[in-house]
Amino acid sequence: MRAAPTQEEVRRHNLGTLLRYIHIHGATSRAELTTRLGLNRSTIGALTADLTAAGLVTEKKEAPLRTGRAGRPSLVVRPESSRVYAYSLTIEVDSLHAARIGLGGRILDRREAPRPRGMQVGDAVQPLASFVHEMRADVPPGSRYVGAGLAIAGMVRRADGMVRLAPTIGWVDEPVGDALVEEIGDVGPMFVANIADVSAMVEHTRGAAAGRDNVIYLYGDVGVGAGIIVGGQRITGHGGYGGEVGHMVVNPDGQPCSCGSRGCWETEIGEYPLLRLAGRGDRSGREAVLAVVDAAMRGDWVAQQAVRQVGEWLGLGVGNLVNIFNPEAVIFGGTLRDVYLVAAAQIRSRLNEVALPACRDEIRLRTPELGRDAALIGAAELAFERLLADPLG
Amino acid sequence: MAATPLLELRGIDKSFGPVQVLHDVGLSIYPGEVTALVGDNGAGKSTLVKCISGIYTIDAGTVTFDGNQVAVNSPRDAAELGIEVVYQDLALCDNLDIVQNMFLGREKKRGLVLDEPTMEQMAGETLASLSVRTVKSLRQLVASLSGGQRQTVAIAKAVLWNSRVVILDEPTAALGVAQTAQVLELVRRLADNGLGVALISHNMNDVFAVSDRIVALYLGRTAAQVKTTDVTHSQVVELITAGRSGTIGLPPEKPAGAAGYTDITPPGADA
Repeated sequence: MRAAPTQEEVRRHNLGTLLRYIHIHGATSRAELTTRLGLNRSTIGALTADLTAAGLVTEKKEAPLRTGRAGRPSLVVRPESSRVYAYSLTIEVDSLHAARIGLGGRILDRREAPRPRGMQVGDAVQPLASFVHEMRADVPPGSRYVGAGLAIAGMVRRADGMVRLAPTIGWVDEPVGDALVEEIGDVGPMFVANIADVSAMVEHTRGAAAGRDNVIYLYGDVGVGAGIIVGGQRITGHGGYGGEVGHMVVNPDGQPCSCGSRGCWETEIGEYPLLRLAGRGDRSGREAVLAVVDAAMRGDWVAQQAVRQVGEWLGLGVGNLVNIFNPEAVIFGGTLRDVYLVAAAQIRSRLNEVALPACRDEIRLRTPELGRDAALIGAAELAFERLLADPLG
Repeated sequence: MAATPLLELRGIDKSFGPVQVLHDVGLSIYPGEVTALVGDNGAGKSTLVKCISGIYTIDAGTVTFDGNQVAVNSPRDAAELGIEVVYQDLALCDNLDIVQNMFLGREKKRGLVLDEPTMEQMAGETLASLSVRTVKSLRQLVASLSGGQRQTVAIAKAVLWNSRVVILDEPTAALGVAQTAQVLELVRRLADNGLGVALISHNMNDVFAVSDRIVALYLGRTAAQVKTTDVTHSQVVELITAGRSGTIGLPPEKPAGAAGYTDITPPGADA
């Protein structure tokens, strides 16, 4: 028989729960915390006092301008966003991003650089490391560093953060996290995860899928990946590689894929097929995709046919995923957001044909609420997770 | 999804002199959902909206709000129920700033003077609740805003008054691509925040991108009210252009009589 949790364990758990609530929901009054967390007033008071002493939150009396309720105004607890921070890095197909992110998910500082196609791992590590060095120089004194996270458009081994195969970026078996830690220096462990996974996590906690526990987040650029949340848990699979929906074969007679197979979903809905269909096969990148979407919306016939065809394939794949997972929401991220908004008629129609009525009945198709920042905030979330598990540890 | 409509119209008739524009029209708007109102030019979409907002009075039919039968005889009645309409022309004043526009005609006062801090805070909170990040300052003149930002301000103005039903007339017409995307996401967010939203649009992508239900009007009649998960693009186009598609929609037309007169039997067993 397992021993009952000690008082100390209960307190640590409650501290973590309270800090997590403030981290996700922002400034909250003590009165509201009491109702939301189901703890009594004095417990909330003691917990916030501990967190305040640790420099993680502040408490302030605020004159409510509008509530019009009688009684003493409750203290408002807010996260120490400008003092407690993590570094967040992302390696996307066309760009490198670095940010300093405060508790509560606030972006305090950010840097961005283009990433030419075919750039090698060493070449990506250096600019990211120098971004961190730059941002580190501006950190106000008295700040508290929590950790660092990296989100990457590739498959990541859960055990050690090894990037196994990033077909769209062109690496095989690269210890990117370790290389970054070495280059940056004095940064602690670097948590590495797939970009679709962390974006899904962020949209699930504080974005378009908040409060929904069965969600598929599709992230598209050259390739297509998915962060899949089932029953409130992220599905990563045995080794951490799950969710590679872009390599689901939808057209066995289709185009060869960068992974070596043929007719993968991303060979029909990724950036290259869209540009090829639009007669712009000589271009590449996010801007080129947005230019096709723009042309389609303005009535360019070739561009319209291209987004419609991509929309049909997109709807077909989503229909299959809906049958398998029965999600409450499907979120279209990356450039798929823009494709969704201009080809929704095709996507929805095909989805309605493919998906079973019971599975599609309550489906919500959404675009991300946090836009392109989701990946950065999500990468920081990897680092904050340790703090939230044990705030005073 | 909600089972009972927030706003329900049944058997609405409306004539202008000898011309009957609406025949036995039905429309249901549910909280937390976007209901798209589609139809060809002259199908009666705008007339129907003006009946809901109290600009026109209806000749026959019932309006139920929140389960209670109500009479909407003027725009004031509609506003009191919490029904706001955002028209295509937006009705914003270029020479006033964002806060002044949002409170135009309903200014907050503290004693004899305007309560600017409260109005500014309420305007800011409303825009924040809609995750609007594109507006730099609340004290910007509306004249300096882009088309998409104006649409955003007009929508925020409608939401500010604890409204429960917001009706948007072609909100993405005349907008650029990036702004259209933002406005569509805003429309979706209104419903996700719990409002009942009606979206009038000619653009099938807009309709499929954000709606939960589609109501098709055809020559002043409700051809069909369907869930967006149950129809395809081509079916909706057929409903708009022919009034029916397969088994859904109005019954088949009888051959036209000698006088060119066509008898179209309206749908609905309870009619």
